Amino acid sequence: MVHEDYKEMIPARALSALDAAEAQALNEHLENCAECRKELDEWQATAAALALDANPAEPSPQVRERILDEVRKDLSEPEVVPFRSTSRNLWSSFGSLGAMAAVVLFTALIVGLVVLWRQNNAIRTELEQSREFVQLVTSPGARVRELKGVGGANATVAYDTNGQAMLVADRLPGVPQGKAYQLWFIVGNRPPMPGKTFAPDSSGKGVLKEQMPREALDSPVFAVTVEPVEGSTAPTSPIYLRSSAVN
Amino acid sequence: MLKAIAAREEAALAQLYDRYRTILFGLLMRILNNREEAEDVLQEVFLQVWRKAADFDESRGRPFTWLVTLARSRGIDRLRTLASRERVAEAGAREVSEEISDAATDAFKSEQRGLVSDALAKLPDEQKRPIMLAYFDGLTQSEIATRLGAPLGTVKTRMRTGMIRLRELLAGQGESFGF
Repeated sequence: MVHEDYKEMIPARALSALDAAEAQALNEHLENCAECRKELDEWQATAAALALDANPAEPSPQVRERILDEVRKDLSEPEVVPFRSTSRNLWSSFGSLGAMAAVVLFTALIVGLVVLWRQNNAIRTELEQSREFVQLVTSPGARVRELKGVGGANATVAYDTNGQAMLVADRLPGVPQGKAYQLWFIVGNRPPMPGKTFAPDSSGKGVLKEQMPREALDSPVFAVTVEPVEGSTAPTSPIYLRSSAVN
Repeated sequence: MLKAIAAREEAALAQLYDRYRTILFGLLMRILNNREEAEDVLQEVFLQVWRKAADFDESRGRPFTWLVTLARSRGIDRLRTLASRERVAEAGAREVSEEISDAATDAFKSEQRGLVSDALAKLPDEQKRPIMLAYFDGLTQSEIATRLGAPLGTVKTRMRTGMIRLRELLAGQGESFGF
C-alpha cells in the first residue's frame, strides 16, 4: 500500500472501524508519517462531535465522590516512579555474583514459602509452583530480577534463555473489582511490552507464569501496574513494582 | 484545566468533571445502555484523566476531543468485554434522559448539539448508518457489512463519503466544539 491508500483509511480509523489487519498496517504507517498523524487528529475531532448526538445524562452523585476519594487516596500515597522516567536496568552482567546471590537468597525464600504453604489447603498447587520456580532459577543461563514497590510490596522474576518466566510476588494489596496487576517488559526507550495479568491471593501473594516476547530478553526492566483484568496494551497507571537498578 | 490536573490539583479535576460529566455519561449510556456499567466506565475515564493529564498535547487537538475519544474508547472496550450485550429496555434510557437538570446542559448548549443533529440529518441514511454503527456500537467495517447485508467495499465507500460530508457540514463550527 502507498501513502494515499493509508490516508483513505484514516476516517474509518477515527471511528475505530478498521478491521484488525488494516488497523495494524495503518498504525505502522502512522509511526513514520507525520502528515497522516495530523490527518488522524483532525478526523478524530470530527468523530468526537458525534458524541453530541447522544442525549446528555446525569450520573449519580456517588460517581463524583468515588472519583475524588480515589484521587485523595492517590495524593496521600508516596509518589511512585512514573513510566516516563523508567531507565534501563543496570544489571548488565547476568552471571554476576549479585545475580547468583539473588538466586541463592530467593531459593531460601522459596523454601521458607514452601514451609508456610504446607499449612495451606492449596498446598499442592503452591508446591508445584515453587518447584517450577526453583527449577527455573537453577536452569543454565537463568536470570533473576527483584521488583520493589511501596509498602513493602515485592516480587521476583526468574526467566530462562528461552523467555520462559515466572513471577512470584508478596505483600501486594488487593485490587478493585475488575482490576488486576499486569506485568510489563521495558527494553531501552521502547514502549513497554505487555505481559499477562494476575491477581494476588488474600495474603497478598501472586504467581504468574509468562512467555516473554523475544525482544524483551535484551536486559529488560520488569514493571507491574494495575490494569483492567483483561490487560492493557499500554500502561494506564503508575508503576507499582519495578525491578531495581543494581550493579 | 488539564495542566492543573497534571499538577495534581484535585479541585481542577472536580471542575473538569462538573463540566463534562453529562456529555460523557450521555455518550457512555448511548454506547452501553446500562447505567451501572456507564458509571463505572465514567469513573475509570476520570481516573485515567487524573493519571494521564500530562499526556494531553494541545497542539494535537482540543480537550473536548481528547476526553470524548478517551471515554468512547473505554466505553467500546467495555461493550466488547461484557459477557452479555443485551441492551436494557428502552424505558431505562428514557428514564435517564428525564433526570437531566437544566444546569447539566450548561456546558453543552442545545445549539451545539443542534449543529451535529442537523449535520447528521443531512447525511443520506446509507452513509449515516455505517458511521453510527461504528461510533456507538463499536462495529468494524466487516461487522457492519454483515449487519447491513452490504458488500464490504460499499460500506467502506459510504463510511468515508459520509465522514467527508460530515466534516464539511461541521466546518467552520470548530470553535463551537472547543468548550
